[in-house]
Amino acid sequence: MSETNLKLIENELGKDIAAVKTVADLDQVFYKYLGNRGQIKQLFKEMKDLPEDKRKEIGVNINGLQKKIIDLIDSKKKELLTGHLAKTMEAEAETLSFDLPKIGHLHPITQTIRMLNKVFTEMGYSIVDGPEIETNEYNFTRLNVPADHPAMDMQDTIYIKEPNLLLRTQTSSVESRIMAGNKPPMKLVCPGRVYRNEKVNKSNHFIFHHYQGVAILEKVSLKDLFGTLNLLFKRMYGPKIIVRYRNKYYPEVEPGVGADMQCFNCRGRGCPLCKGVGWIEMGGAGIIHPNVMKMAGIDSKKFMGFAFGLGLDRWVMAKYNITDIRTLLGGNLAYKYYENENTL
Amino acid sequence: MAGLMMDDLKEITYQGKQDYLISLEVRQNRADCLSIIGLAREVAAYYGLVCKLPLNKLIIPIKKGSGVEVKALKHVKRALAFEITGVKNKKSLAWLKEFLALYDINSVNLLVDLSNYIMILTGYPSHLLDKDKITGKFCWAVNQDFKEFITLDKTKVKLLGKEIILKDDKTILGLAGIIGGKTAEIDLNSQNIIVEMAIYDRVAVRRDSRSLKIVTEASIRLEKDLSPEGLDSAMNLLISLILKETGGKIKARPFSFYPTKQPSLKIKLDSRLISVFAGVEISQSKTVSILKDLRFKVLKSGQSLEVVPPLDRMDIGICEDVIEEVIRIFGFEKIPSNQAPAFAIAKQMTSTTIKFSEKTRDILATIGFDEILSWPLTKKEINSETNYLDWDNISTQNSVNEEFPDLRQSIAPSLLFQFKEYKKRNIGKIKLFEIGRVFGKKGSNYLEQESLGILIEPEKEKAILELKKAVETLLLSLGFNEISYLSSITKPKIANPFSCWDIQVKGETVGIIYKIYKSLGFAEINISKMSNLAKNFNLNPAVELIHKLVILDANVELNNSKDVTPLLKSLQKEIGKNLWSLEVIDIFSLKDRKRYTIKASYVDLSDKEAKEMHSKVFNL
Repeated sequence: MSETNLKLIENELGKDIAAVKTVADLDQVFYKYLGNRGQIKQLFKEMKDLPEDKRKEIGVNINGLQKKIIDLIDSKKKELLTGHLAKTMEAEAETLSFDLPKIGHLHPITQTIRMLNKVFTEMGYSIVDGPEIETNEYNFTRLNVPADHPAMDMQDTIYIKEPNLLLRTQTSSVESRIMAGNKPPMKLVCPGRVYRNEKVNKSNHFIFHHYQGVAILEKVSLKDLFGTLNLLFKRMYGPKIIVRYRNKYYPEVEPGVGADMQCFNCRGRGCPLCKGVGWIEMGGAGIIHPNVMKMAGIDSKKFMGFAFGLGLDRWVMAKYNITDIRTLLGGNLAYKYYENENTL
Repeated sequence: MAGLMMDDLKEITYQGKQDYLISLEVRQNRADCLSIIGLAREVAAYYGLVCKLPLNKLIIPIKKGSGVEVKALKHVKRALAFEITGVKNKKSLAWLKEFLALYDINSVNLLVDLSNYIMILTGYPSHLLDKDKITGKFCWAVNQDFKEFITLDKTKVKLLGKEIILKDDKTILGLAGIIGGKTAEIDLNSQNIIVEMAIYDRVAVRRDSRSLKIVTEASIRLEKDLSPEGLDSAMNLLISLILKETGGKIKARPFSFYPTKQPSLKIKLDSRLISVFAGVEISQSKTVSILKDLRFKVLKSGQSLEVVPPLDRMDIGICEDVIEEVIRIFGFEKIPSNQAPAFAIAKQMTSTTIKFSEKTRDILATIGFDEILSWPLTKKEINSETNYLDWDNISTQNSVNEEFPDLRQSIAPSLLFQFKEYKKRNIGKIKLFEIGRVFGKKGSNYLEQESLGILIEPEKEKAILELKKAVETLLLSLGFNEISYLSSITKPKIANPFSCWDIQVKGETVGIIYKIYKSLGFAEINISKMSNLAKNFNLNPAVELIHKLVILDANVELNNSKDVTPLLKSLQKEIGKNLWSLEVIDIFSLKDRKRYTIKASYVDLSDKEAKEMHSKVFNL
């Protein structure tokens, strides 16, 4: 064994490493030089035949060659793996981009109700619901709707084939049920579906969605009511929105008000959406009528309450640019999957 | 903002000049404002002005006439009738025609136009009849005899019976409060006339108007609460104008019917309440000033007010009505609206069903389902195909759509309708759900429940398999882990009978899953029932884990015919609060038995305690 032999091995190793293309090729190089029967092991075995004075020097050289081989193999291995990983990732990325999982969508009405619920639950209101098949008592009588009120006509209300049963015309019926069964203080909102005997066309439907709110406490005022509704409108439509209140008649409340919001489409200048008046009617509200409190067994001298009712369908139509109210429930509503949208 | 919403504002050209046309929305209980005088009173009150009304030029003492009668006693609140002879009717006056044109009323002739003019001016409709075309006695009656009627505009109307009508001895002359008839129509040759004005039971007017589908300026006014007290001045104005413009003479003994006089109300009010209701200070002097502007008589001033509302204000009855009047004229715009109230905390009453529905929506949307909402009305035949519950069909009396008079008993019809609509529009990968009410009748009880419907058109896998995965993902995410399926007891007709199972949770049936047609999967789950089952759930089982879990295995052999589930349940019960998890990790088949390897993880026990417990429960 001489230094020439070591040089020859080193040259051969250089060629072998250069020829390596896969990790398997590199394993073969490892076995050839460093394996149990590899060339380095062989060199160490042959050392015993060397004269004693040369053993030390040759030993140091063999160790140096072994380290060099290990370093070269490691470096080649890293190079090979990096390339392999890049290719694998590329292949996986291709797979990912063509097989996206489908994410579903919530109905615009649901999304709108959730936005409103969020505003009110933050203010400590509970969310409640009640039956859609209602009695005359809870839908009309307990809400101070007089027995001869036109709303009770067959032309306005859908009745069940049973005396005094109907499909609720307002979610105030839930309010009258909760008021009858609970003691104040109470703060409630009741989103839900209501029914009227209306001909169905582009702008009217016999089913629509109401959002009723009630707060019964020791003392409430119109100022509290306006503050609550203003907060709601601003959260829904932005801080610049302007709301006004005007006197309106609802049997359930006294005083009663109508809440109008400055048209978000024309900013009050007048447009087809607001019929040129610059305002859009958003709902009705007022201080709960003493008769309603009395029928619920609540002492109107100890407690006062306000109530408001909002129609949701027109809000949703304006927000989602839906021009025909029938779309909301009638089969024409679909969801686009390649829009960058916020689903919830 | 004081009460009359401006519905529309248009710039128009009138008599060659630019002007504005204002449409006002009049409150349903303000019949007095469906007139120029009513609006003028509102404007005067708002601006603190004096309202000058047209003077009644003659006052006619009214006695009971013999040629007129009220037979519809329950429906006529007040009636006045004058007979005028020798009038000279003619074409209308230019100013009158123009005036009526502003209100979209066509000119007919002078007499008819004067009647319409007074209606617009005072809010009280009147009706003129040609006396010479009337046979015998003129009266108000409930229709019993007449099947049809020809209106002034020559429309033939089929009568339904029980309408309030004007009639003579021979025929029907008009529908009371709605429209006159052709028989006694006023024309240019009319010389002797009857002028009638009346206030009716407003519900009857509305009922007749709606059922006969005739809506007129008169019916719009008379189906609201008009004061009987204003009838005299309106009639006086009309009669004086007729006499002035067409000549003629009042025949003696005009007719008056007024069985129950409208009472004059006295309302007591604590004036401090006005500021309480408004939330801002409204002074006592301001209150009194507003009330006087609104023509209220203030009998007692100071803190305890006593007021008398004007008789034409039929909407004022209690002290809250008076409070509203003061606040609206004071101005809603003066009440601050930029302060959200700091209210007391109230009891939380949000129902579990609502929480469950919301969570269900989120889970289903996350796993790829789209939400739809639909009509709950359907038809009996569809219900009989899709119902799987033990209840009967509910029908409505007067559904908007005659084809769909019944309430749905399952969500299936709604989702199938939507599926077909999507297919028509080439939409693929359909995965839908709806949460809504289903309805049914059991004995005399009308029932409804919040129900979830899920429909899937599978892409690769079999419909039921893919839907089952979705249902289980949903139920597990909601906190239910004891899910099983049993072949359905009641299979809906629409379901494939070989692929229809009841979904069970904790041994209770909560819904159904079945195949429709060749490949669609449908499942329905009773959300109301699920939320009841979940009432005892701890949906947030967080613990403070201080020690490591002790995990031990045990082998149990059971006959092939025996299910391992009861054993697991009894182990769960026996280990109780120290159980973290229990899993079957291996099953090995022996000759006629199976060997189950069960891994039990114990919490809050030392190694020694866990081994003792393990040996005890597994009989080791």
